[in-house]
Amino acid sequence: MAKDIYEDFLRLTGFEEDEMSEYLPQWRKASERLGLTEDDVRFATQEQLPTYFAIELEGIRKLLGCFVKETIDLTKASEYKERGVKIVYGILPAILHFYYALKLTAPGKVYVSFPDIFLTLVMNGFFHKLSPLLEEAERTGIPYGCRHCALNKTRYAARRLDIIPSPDISWIWGFICDEGPKTDEFIRIYHDPEWKTYITRLPHDQPLGTVEDEVMDRVEYLAKQMKDGFESAQREIGIKVEEKKISEVIAIWHRYAAKLAELALLMSADPQPLGAVSGRLFWEPLFTPFNTGIEGMEKALDITIREVRQRVANKEGILPKGAPKLLIYSIHPSVPWIAKVFEENGVGIPLSEFFILTKKQLMPPSFEDPYMAAAEGWLRTSAMVNPGYQAEQICEKIETHKFDGAVFGLMDFDRWLGSPHRLLSRMVEEKTKLPVFYIEGDNWDDRDYSLEALRTRIESICEIMKMRKA
Amino acid sequence: MDTLEELAQIARTRPEKLKEQKEKGVKIVGYIGRFVPEELIYASGALPYLLCRGGQPEPPDAVIPYMLRFMSPYSRSQIGYHLLGIDPVVPMLDLTVLQSTDCHESRLADLFEYFKLPTMRLGVPPDWEKSLSRDYYYKELARLIEKLEAITGNKVSEQRLKESTDSINKIRWLLSKINLLRKNQPPPIGGADFIRLNHYSFYADPQKILPKLDELYQELQKGGSPFPKEAPRILLAGHVVAIGDYVVPKLIEDSGGVIAAEFLDEGMRHCEWSVKTDGDLIRNLGETYFLERTPPSIFQPAWEARAEFMKKLIRDFSIDGVIWYELSFDEIYDLECSIVSKVLNEINIPFLKLESSYEYSREAVGPLTTRVESFIETVKQRRS
Repeated sequence: MAKDIYEDFLRLTGFEEDEMSEYLPQWRKASERLGLTEDDVRFATQEQLPTYFAIELEGIRKLLGCFVKETIDLTKASEYKERGVKIVYGILPAILHFYYALKLTAPGKVYVSFPDIFLTLVMNGFFHKLSPLLEEAERTGIPYGCRHCALNKTRYAARRLDIIPSPDISWIWGFICDEGPKTDEFIRIYHDPEWKTYITRLPHDQPLGTVEDEVMDRVEYLAKQMKDGFESAQREIGIKVEEKKISEVIAIWHRYAAKLAELALLMSADPQPLGAVSGRLFWEPLFTPFNTGIEGMEKALDITIREVRQRVANKEGILPKGAPKLLIYSIHPSVPWIAKVFEENGVGIPLSEFFILTKKQLMPPSFEDPYMAAAEGWLRTSAMVNPGYQAEQICEKIETHKFDGAVFGLMDFDRWLGSPHRLLSRMVEEKTKLPVFYIEGDNWDDRDYSLEALRTRIESICEIMKMRKA
Repeated sequence: MDTLEELAQIARTRPEKLKEQKEKGVKIVGYIGRFVPEELIYASGALPYLLCRGGQPEPPDAVIPYMLRFMSPYSRSQIGYHLLGIDPVVPMLDLTVLQSTDCHESRLADLFEYFKLPTMRLGVPPDWEKSLSRDYYYKELARLIEKLEAITGNKVSEQRLKESTDSINKIRWLLSKINLLRKNQPPPIGGADFIRLNHYSFYADPQKILPKLDELYQELQKGGSPFPKEAPRILLAGHVVAIGDYVVPKLIEDSGGVIAAEFLDEGMRHCEWSVKTDGDLIRNLGETYFLERTPPSIFQPAWEARAEFMKKLIRDFSIDGVIWYELSFDEIYDLECSIVSKVLNEINIPFLKLESSYEYSREAVGPLTTRVESFIETVKQRRS
């Protein structure tokens, strides 16, 4: 009998033998729906995942499995909808407490997802096959030339190709970019009149350097916006969430975040015990809700912390001791080779600035009101605030994890998150006196910036870092 | 059209006049964006100066060391001229008020602050249909008044605000009357000149420009047109035709078309709307600026209302074809363009999308000319 590559894939991604009978048929069906062929699954199993992820670690295999489960679940969203389950989408970045609070309140009655995130991370990160979705969007109204965001194209194409159903409500956040929420307006007018949305926005009007979480008017306004959005979403789907559920989620978020802080410290050990791509997916539940729940991720995280702690104790590393390490703005496993090229050239980029937390972020909220607490949490987050405050937080992270420098860029599709990187580079370099680099590129979609195109740039950065540290 | 040339001369010499006024102690307040009411600046005793330059490739390029390359060249230009050392006004501004409506504007404000230019951001929430957002904008106007009062030392009194609102309303009213003459076939004034006229209207003291606009209206009303009767009537739509970015409007009219109407979010007076001068004046300003005018593309929801407004312009001004003028990497307008194209296709109106990075070298203008000429020819053939 021919080897079953689908089964091998599930085994590689941490599925237990007793789960096979349940998940194997589901995975086959999901693959078909996503346009993945047997060859694609073979590529992921034999090349992509072993190359870029530390599959020798049980925790990492389990982590990958959580993403596979969530992707399978995503392809079942249309069935859920037919059964009367309410479909709630959001876009990145959003405060996910509210989505989890919906799940805690009515687990069987609501489906929550930021579908583009999972599709992008899994389709490109595992199979290197996001381009059919991107090209579908580019053929049908979101032109290629304007450097639109791959996430927005993916969300639109997933609907066009009927991978996902229309939502009962897509609660869209424009706290960061404009294109995210406007894409939902585009989908509704251009393609799917059933694509119902509710928008929540916050103007970018704070002067450079403002500590935004300490500006009471701003925290209050954001809290009101969140409350207004969440109440609208609840009305739309007919599910009432008690405020204590939000508080419960905030507590879970803090528990998970504390574990991540431990993993971050372990990953910045010398020698670096784990590749950047392997660890990075653990940070996703801080910003993206898992309809399948966070428990699987937490279990995978516990196992990984244990395994990595052992590596640190044994002084095992993926790089030699003393190798330079850079704080990178964000590594997305959707383009995993970027981190790999750094590591192959003897420089570590163990942690993504976007995801690791400052001391202030780990402190309990100052407010009991869950909306105020959520708003404060948002405004404590470096990527969500003005570049002056953001630069201060980046400097703290560089200090905490003893980085030798930083790398910005790879976000050229994002007119908010990506647009201040050159300015941030200057501010951080001025303050830390460490070398800070900028790379133009796209860490969701590597069609324009191929390995060949970026290799020379990355190799030069690595050479400079090694010479400085020699 | 001597009047137009006189107005051009007034606009050209505006920086010198501002310098003279500054030396006399008058404060000069720059502003960027349609949500910053110049009525308030005048009412504070300061002189406003609209930053809306564009049309040259070097200023946006000067910003690249500080900002992502894939940002709108229009936004980048507003500080690019200053970084190149060729902006006569920005260095003397006592304050620049930048609306924070979208990412491009907000990142521009970051740079103004980084370069230590006196700056105030005016927050404009794009989710405009909510009372929360409306109240936010009203509060921002109150904050702007406080700031203006602080720098000028003058109180923005009701009387002063009423006077400045009246003046600006009169400018809008006269521009609106001139605009309506463009319903004639052929129109007495084309878009290339009407856009300039709007621009000039931002750079002259209201008491100077009002008689000139009236004079121009009387002149145009007499009849006569520089365009042939069969010239296809074009609606020029998009984000902005910046001050100095006149290649495309001129090209359209040099190619045999006439721009009979515009649908542009910035750089125009939006003269169809006036601010009420009775009751709470600040609230009136807020209502007109934030709620009553056609929402800009960044507002949400906006695109359906905007498409309807375009259809109305097409009917009212007997439009034969639409040219969408888009600036490179202006991502929201790029999405809207697909919607507009679809809507116009449904009502059988020819549509052409042009994209500009302000690169108007001989090599770039050649193909652009061919595209515009072909489009005008196609529209002409449909008409005949």
